[in-house]
Amino acid sequence: MLGLRVAARMTSSLDEAGPRWYAHAYNRPNFYRFAAALSWVPRRLRLALARRIGRLAPSFMPTERAAIQKAMTRFTGATGARLDTLTVRVFTDFAMCFSDLVSTNRQLAAHRLSHVGHVEGLERLASLSGGLISLTAHVGNWELAGRLLAGRSARPTHVVVAPDEARELERWVRRDGEGVRFVSRSRPTVSLELLAALRRGEVVGVQGDRALGTKGDVEISFFGRPARFPLGPFRLSSAVGVPLLPAFCLLDAHYRYVVKIAEPFTAARGEEEAAAHTWVAALEAIVREYPTQWFNFFDIWEPFGQ
Amino acid sequence: MDTDKVLEELKGIMVERLKFEPSRLPDLSLATVLPKDMEGSLGLDSLDFIELSIGIEERFGFVIDEAQDLEAHFQSLGTLAEYIKSRLADR
Repeated sequence: MLGLRVAARMTSSLDEAGPRWYAHAYNRPNFYRFAAALSWVPRRLRLALARRIGRLAPSFMPTERAAIQKAMTRFTGATGARLDTLTVRVFTDFAMCFSDLVSTNRQLAAHRLSHVGHVEGLERLASLSGGLISLTAHVGNWELAGRLLAGRSARPTHVVVAPDEARELERWVRRDGEGVRFVSRSRPTVSLELLAALRRGEVVGVQGDRALGTKGDVEISFFGRPARFPLGPFRLSSAVGVPLLPAFCLLDAHYRYVVKIAEPFTAARGEEEAAAHTWVAALEAIVREYPTQWFNFFDIWEPFGQ
Repeated sequence: MDTDKVLEELKGIMVERLKFEPSRLPDLSLATVLPKDMEGSLGLDSLDFIELSIGIEERFGFVIDEAQDLEAHFQSLGTLAEYIKSRLADR
């Protein structure tokens, strides 16, 4: 799912209960159905409609609007009218990416590729053989990035997803196929499957921008303030000795996608936290460049309402 | 290696790699359930299972077989001990 999910910590002890995740009130099948029903509309028109809906969204989502305003202030330093513009832009950008998620992303690979303008750093992927961890975030159309990379890497890709996604939404956002397989974190032993996949030389795709609210999180400065990030991808990397490859898929000014693959790096045993810092620096660079494609509609610095 | 010996080795891994409190070791038995969110379990999460599997490989000197359904083997200390014994016997 691209974004509208928020975490709330319900107890004072993370180890006792962890965070309770809940879907946003608008995260309902009818919205997906509506968006999917517009798949036949020419993309240009469909995205124009998405922008229109996105412009209205902040009025109905005051909590999310406030969280985005805080993020935009941190990311850009904007205030006043410019801050308002950027805030609305996040919702319109999200609406376009969401529209593509349930339509363009589901098209055949060749058709999907026609919406990709440029792939930056592809040679970095090509230079890697064997298992690797593709690291991304809720920025732009990450799901499309995963599918494109799976096609390019010619290796099975296991995409790790949150366990509590509403089941009825799966048909739109978790479609296995074309080398991509979605793996839920619902069972803690899933990490054994992922270790095995990496050892077979396959790809594990994971998002590294949302803390889990467990002891597996680490606090790292993000745009000058401490935020919590998951340590799991880096532990996985150090356990198997495979590289981590940050990858993002952003919408450009002409509504085509730009795929950006950053420099791969490794997490040495005992150096997982340092590797997490490297990742957060890469994430910060992308968010600085594309602030309005930050699709975490909650307070990243206080995700559990601390 | 007999089951009791394997269990002792597993307890060692729990303390060394999973930072398990040594004073709780007497509570552990072959019936102890491992994954979190299960009745009476030790509450191991996905990161703990990574540590545990690497610890087992180092301690017992074999690579955990990716072709097998590993989840069943990692359900309790008892199932894990049996799995380790069978892997050691195969060598």
